Amino acid sequence: MFEALGTRIMVGVISLSMLLFSSFKGNDPQLGTINHYSSSSTLYLSGELLSAFDNDFDTVFASSATIPVYFTLKIKSGNRNVVNRQFKHLVKFNPATGIYELRKDGKPEVMRTSSVAQIVKEISQYSFSVPYQSSWGLISVSVQAEMPIVRFEELNKEVDLMVLWKYKKPSAKIQIDLRKAQ
Amino acid sequence: MPKFGMRTRIILLFIIVSIGGLVLLNKVFQSKHNEIHNSLGNMELSSQLREIRLHSKEDSLKAESLMKKFDSSKALVDITLGESRIATSVVLLLIIISSTTIFITVICRLSKPLKELKHATEQIRQGDFSVHLPETGIPEMRELKNSFNVMSRELETTQTRLLVAEKEMIWKDLSRILAHEIKNPLTPIQLVIQRLEERLESDCDKIKELLPESISIISQEVDNLQLLAQDFSNYAKVNQPNTEELNPALSIREIVKSYVQNFQINLELSDELRIKFDKTHFYQVITNILQNAIDASGADSAIDIRLYKERSYAVLSIQDQGSGIESKDLPRIFEPYYSKKSKGTGLGLALVKRLCDANDTIIRVKSKPDEGSEFTLIMDDLTT
Repeated sequence: MFEALGTRIMVGVISLSMLLFSSFKGNDPQLGTINHYSSSSTLYLSGELLSAFDNDFDTVFASSATIPVYFTLKIKSGNRNVVNRQFKHLVKFNPATGIYELRKDGKPEVMRTSSVAQIVKEISQYSFSVPYQSSWGLISVSVQAEMPIVRFEELNKEVDLMVLWKYKKPSAKIQIDLRKAQ
Repeated sequence: MPKFGMRTRIILLFIIVSIGGLVLLNKVFQSKHNEIHNSLGNMELSSQLREIRLHSKEDSLKAESLMKKFDSSKALVDITLGESRIATSVVLLLIIISSTTIFITVICRLSKPLKELKHATEQIRQGDFSVHLPETGIPEMRELKNSFNVMSRELETTQTRLLVAEKEMIWKDLSRILAHEIKNPLTPIQLVIQRLEERLESDCDKIKELLPESISIISQEVDNLQLLAQDFSNYAKVNQPNTEELNPALSIREIVKSYVQNFQINLELSDELRIKFDKTHFYQVITNILQNAIDASGADSAIDIRLYKERSYAVLSIQDQGSGIESKDLPRIFEPYYSKKSKGTGLGLALVKRLCDANDTIIRVKSKPDEGSEFTLIMDDLTT
């Protein structure tokens, strides 16, 4: 709880100071509405990360380091955490061929393209499937996106990619009544 | 334009100079960052290297490593620039907030004792010399407060001494006046008694002839003594007025009724006016002023009493054509025991002034020697 409060205060201070004193654009990521549908035992969730990679990410993606984007899915039934999973999207650029590779957790195929725009579009979209129990009843689903500290092996340096998101972790919430879904 | 105090001016000056300077510096810093960022965007190596045909695998690996290093460096510089811009703005905000807070706190701590001093001076100005300031703060301020405390203590001592001296003087004056006023009627009484004693010894039979005149003199002087006692009693007894709505014209007519047979009094009174006054006090005020006018006037000279409205006030003027008052005496006529008349305690007009003050009434006097005097009472008119 204190960590979340600390993050909120830090994000508030950063936003205010940047509004007043900085010309740094960065990105203001947001998670769009969570779409969902369910089969008899599986819940399918999908959505999109908006305005997350508009500025400065072309250079970062082209750095040839593996750039991950994490999506954390939490499902609560009442006060009980029933699902807490993290999904990864990984982008890697090969400077010799000029091709980007995108791998998404839960999908065996690897997407390859030379277009940054295509990569940005694909990395922004997520879709998860989780098994569920009907006894969960009314559930609260939350998705949060973040980026970790990345190591540039060639330079032996670490950088926090959250700088480009101004340390904001976009999140979205939805409530689903699984009894109705059935 | 709003009038700022010294403290506000100093704070504004601080904000303009230091914070303005910091913001300006930040602006320059940010614009330089932008320039670096834009230059970085124009640096392109990989796409051009890819177009070069490399003959050996070793060259390809070297080129790939070079491209990776270059692209990583570019990304690193870009991210570091972003980080630095965020850090700069956050640090700037924190500096501004903390320095402003510290500055305002220091200024307030410095100006607080000055405010206390100002407040204490106000108290002294209002006559409260018991004020004592806590001797805290920076050494200069402690010294200043100490001097102030010494001054207020000295003033208090001086005030106490003055009060004692004033009381003593009042008692002396009062004793002198009382002795004089009591002696005046006692002398004729003593003379009458002496005459009666002499006659009793020499011509006892004829004493009856002297008795009516002697009794008359004694009775008159006893009356004078009673009047004197009444005057002192009235002056001491001015209490909280029991104000009520009065028709001043009606009250004046009632008062004047007993005088009109013997004196020429002209009335010009507006009946519409209403005032708030203690009825007994009003009677005492009018009687005293009228009696003074009668005493100052000759037998045939007229006294004019006018009551009229002026703006929101009821104005009562009592004017005589008597001996008038010297201009040097005018400022002192309302002082107790100050009298130029051969008869009287000097308490009449002092009582008038006290009663007027108690009933929120302004009293003014205009007078010229040998032309007469005009006493004017200005009261709130309730009909307005």
